[in-house]
Amino acid sequence: MTATKSLRAGGRVQAAIPIVLLIGLVILIGVLQPSFLTADTLLVVMADTATLFILAAGITFVVMLGGIDLSIQAVASLSSVLVAIWLGRIGYWAFPATLLVGFITGAFSGVVHVRLRIPSFIVTLATSGLVAAAALLLSQERSITIGEAGRAYLSWITGRPFGVPSVIFIGALVACAGIWLQCYTPFGRYSAAIGAGEAATWASGVKVNRQKVIAYSLSAGLAALAGILLTGRLSSGSPTLANELLLPAIAAVVVGGTSITGGAGGIGRTVIGALIISVVRVGMTFVGVDIFAQQIVFGAVLILAVAITIDRTKILIVK
Amino acid sequence: MLAVEHVSKAFAGVQALDDVNVEIGANEVVGLVGENGAGKSTLMRILAGVYSPDRGSLKLDGAQVLLKSPREANLNGIGIVFQEQSLLLNLTVGENIYLGQEAEFTRLGLVNRRRMNAAARRQLAKVEVDIDPDTRTSELSFAARQMVELAKALALEERTEKHLIILLDEPTSVLEQRDIEILFARVRALKRRASFVFVSHRLDEILALSDRIYVMKDGRVVGHMEAGSTTVPQLHQMMVGRDRHAEYYRESRQGPPREEIVMEARDLSVTGAYRKVDFVLHRGEVLGIAGVVGSGREELTRTLFGFVPQSSGTLLIDGHEVRLTVPSQAADHGVGYIPRERRTEGLVLSLPLAVNVTLSKLPTSRITGAIRLSREIQLAKSWVDKLHIRTPGVEALCLNLSGGNQQKVVLAKWMNARAHILILDHPTRGLDVGAKEEVYELIRDLSEEGVSIILTADTLEETIGLCHSILVMRDGKVTARFDASPGRKPSQVDLIQHMV
Amino acid sequence: MEPRKVPPSADSGTPQIRSPELGGRNAKLSLNRLKRYAPFFALIALSLLIGAMNPRFFEFNNLIRVANSASIPLVLSLGMTFVILLGSIDLSVEGVLAIGAVLISLLVRNNGNGFDLGWSAVVLAILACSGIGFLNGAIHVGLRIPSFMVTLGMWFIGVGVATLILGGSTVRVLDKGIRSIALDRPMGFFPIAVWVALGALGITWVIERQTRIGRYIYAIGGGEDLAALSGIPVKRVKIIVFMIAGTLYGLGGLLSAAQLGQGNALIGSGRLFSTVTAVVVGGTALTGGEGGVLNTLVGVMIMAVLGNGMVLLGISPDVQQGVQGVLIIVAVALSLDRARLKIVK
Repeated sequence: MTATKSLRAGGRVQAAIPIVLLIGLVILIGVLQPSFLTADTLLVVMADTATLFILAAGITFVVMLGGIDLSIQAVASLSSVLVAIWLGRIGYWAFPATLLVGFITGAFSGVVHVRLRIPSFIVTLATSGLVAAAALLLSQERSITIGEAGRAYLSWITGRPFGVPSVIFIGALVACAGIWLQCYTPFGRYSAAIGAGEAATWASGVKVNRQKVIAYSLSAGLAALAGILLTGRLSSGSPTLANELLLPAIAAVVVGGTSITGGAGGIGRTVIGALIISVVRVGMTFVGVDIFAQQIVFGAVLILAVAITIDRTKILIVK
Repeated sequence: MLAVEHVSKAFAGVQALDDVNVEIGANEVVGLVGENGAGKSTLMRILAGVYSPDRGSLKLDGAQVLLKSPREANLNGIGIVFQEQSLLLNLTVGENIYLGQEAEFTRLGLVNRRRMNAAARRQLAKVEVDIDPDTRTSELSFAARQMVELAKALALEERTEKHLIILLDEPTSVLEQRDIEILFARVRALKRRASFVFVSHRLDEILALSDRIYVMKDGRVVGHMEAGSTTVPQLHQMMVGRDRHAEYYRESRQGPPREEIVMEARDLSVTGAYRKVDFVLHRGEVLGIAGVVGSGREELTRTLFGFVPQSSGTLLIDGHEVRLTVPSQAADHGVGYIPRERRTEGLVLSLPLAVNVTLSKLPTSRITGAIRLSREIQLAKSWVDKLHIRTPGVEALCLNLSGGNQQKVVLAKWMNARAHILILDHPTRGLDVGAKEEVYELIRDLSEEGVSIILTADTLEETIGLCHSILVMRDGKVTARFDASPGRKPSQVDLIQHMV
Repeated sequence: MEPRKVPPSADSGTPQIRSPELGGRNAKLSLNRLKRYAPFFALIALSLLIGAMNPRFFEFNNLIRVANSASIPLVLSLGMTFVILLGSIDLSVEGVLAIGAVLISLLVRNNGNGFDLGWSAVVLAILACSGIGFLNGAIHVGLRIPSFMVTLGMWFIGVGVATLILGGSTVRVLDKGIRSIALDRPMGFFPIAVWVALGALGITWVIERQTRIGRYIYAIGGGEDLAALSGIPVKRVKIIVFMIAGTLYGLGGLLSAAQLGQGNALIGSGRLFSTVTAVVVGGTALTGGEGGVLNTLVGVMIMAVLGNGMVLLGISPDVQQGVQGVLIIVAVALSLDRARLKIVK
């Protein structure tokens, strides 16, 4: 098992750096402001991380094989609108239906990308436009509050089994499923191989296009899930709900140590990356960083974290 | 003029050059021959300032020089025409000729394109080609690009006081016959301006162009003679060495192939590459395809693995008609491919050995579809043992393996996928003699186990030595077929007749 | 060994070569050449189509409106073009632009403080933006971090700095000179902003076509290793390119402040993706080495005409970005020389 583990992760030291960074940050904030280290605060941080992580997990699939998905915030917003509309009409069926829409948008991006051979940056941006337009039309540019009847269906999101917000469990479930997909299934293996050497993977008889379409579908599907969770927590859907989440999600992926050019990294690392992002955000408020200066600190931490976590041995030319 | 004295160079434990002495005089063409891995290219790269020697020195007009970069080599009058072309395809011809040298045309920060193009035209005139310097390089044929490279090297003339030495590193490998003649005519005409070092693995070319010849083998200079005083067979003898005999290719292990037909081509054609090719491949047979560049054999092999879809004709695998449009289809039919470009198409270098071995066929659980990781490690270990792959472990990155071991990993990948037809595209390219022998041994093993092999080899000798039967191609057509059972092997001359 | 026919001996006379004899160019490639103008044809076709559906498109005032709406995107896209030609990416557009706009608003006569530095404020602010560009480049090549991540961080930092110096509020520009950039139309023609953008186009065109830096940008984008072998100072060129980009974003900040008459930290919102899109739609490849500032001009015009056309045709604002998405895919699919790209990321 140890052998298999190092098989997946490559360098073990490299993999440990983000964890060390996370623990260091938590301790640092805890020393400066001991109230940060209470169970309640940490649970809040983790609950806040869950949606960010789920979005980031989706992008991780795409980044692993060397692409990028810029459509996730639009997909998350659309799904919040869809859930809000559908809950009153079809009850629990609203959730699978919304997830399905998410998967389909992702599959659309993927197919256009591999068939028309257009860079993923452009394709997913275009998909983003389409999806955002759909969200605006469906919601008539308004946020949709979910009525009392609908809220009953949302208890699996808002509940606190054993005193722990259920979104944390959902996030953990996604993390486990994602790690399983990446480490134990052919899809995960092929994704990493495509990111590290697409030509060789293709010439080994791997169905490269299929893996790509799966990755984009998963990415958008998880974005839809994140949208559903956000809707549940806010009890309303809105066409601009997730608009500020794309960048932090990408940041979480790269801070975790997944290479933006693909081939190295994974969902496990994204868990750490997302936690680092959340801890920095919440921690800054705790420590008393001027609210206006927070973004500066955040940007600087981002660059620093990447500078520390990035594995330079595998990159020959840095673009 | 330029003297290489006692130069040695090693890479990752492999001695590429061992105490090499070479002299280059003024206005002469020095030929350099040797098999792949003999050290020709390493020597050229040392002369061009790409590598620096571990031991020994370079002397220019008697004074020792250190060439730490291609730029310093340039300043000392040494220019190189690389085997892999070094022109940037997205720049114009003129921009390429003066890349990095724009200063002389720059005034007030602006590059005077007209003056630069005029100068480029002057360089192009030296090689007597009429190409507009404003042409995009990507629009030129390989031959024309080669001329531009030559013109670029000649542009050095105006930048250095030193006598010009131009290194031609297998410049003919991508050229058509007619273009080779033009290139040679140019080189002869330019001899009054410069000295040339000419590397080729085609002995007749070396004899035709060179004044003096150095023969290299296993990193050493094993012969040195005037071109007029030697012959192709004599050169060949020196390159190959006395210790090579029939057993080199394990001919005693060559058994007869089985009756069963595993692959058959009928009137197979790819527009613009080859037409109406027929062949039959039996179980356990090694079928060689011989032909020069442009004969269509490269495209033929790539068709059989789905890289280049056939335009017409029929291809049968195990009796079923197939049409391969992507490699994954070929792999699904049990075809494997050992590419020439091992580092880009053969292996994912930055992934571990075990991952590469199982890339074509992962051991998955029947129930969950998940990868059985411990089984994977076990498989990888068994292949490492079976093929004697020298590696610190199955987790080692392929990046860190030697060429021969990398090639074995590629082979293991397809053996693990249980490919019963293997297409070997120059499988021994860039391997040293020991590694080559191991590959030959493996080919015999595979053949005995009933795996069928289609081989395009680096040398005719290899083709003849390894194959059961040989297909000769010229200009996109099959011109001859030879039976090559032990004792009835055709000679190189037999094959060459039908190749050119 | 694969012996070939022995070439003729030395004195067989030197054949005169012309490029066609060497295989030279062939017919297939001239089609590819034509393909490089595809974005331009797309622009013409789009304009004609919109003009046919609503003749008001070709009215003088509307064309000026189109030009005006293209001025800020053009300035930004020009900066981005060089970065993309290198094969890199710069995500810091919005941050740098915000800093430029906020600094200018605060240093000229405004309703927030007592400064009134006039045009020297503009120079200072744009220099500051060049400085951020320099930082982008220096961190990218110095620490060997992909430009994507460096500039992502710088995006946050830029917006953060702009927020911090304004304390989260908005400041109004009272300086007549600055406002005149957007409002004055010399000789009843284009507003000054358009002239500024055209000036930037001219300068970047000269840099691209006539200077060593321009040449080296293409060389690095075409093959970084080969470029380094030819003795090109790759690192220095990259840093300079990011500086040029920063400078142009600063200029974009000036135009934004002039147009809106105010400065705030979110003044650049939404600019990044439209900038990259314009560059790519114009035919510059994200992989580097192909395209240029004239392509970018065409790309920006396509986006501007499209935006204007959708308003003229009364397409609901909700649908506009959807239509835009579809048309971008169509435009890129038509103009991309995909046969050459084996691997698309």
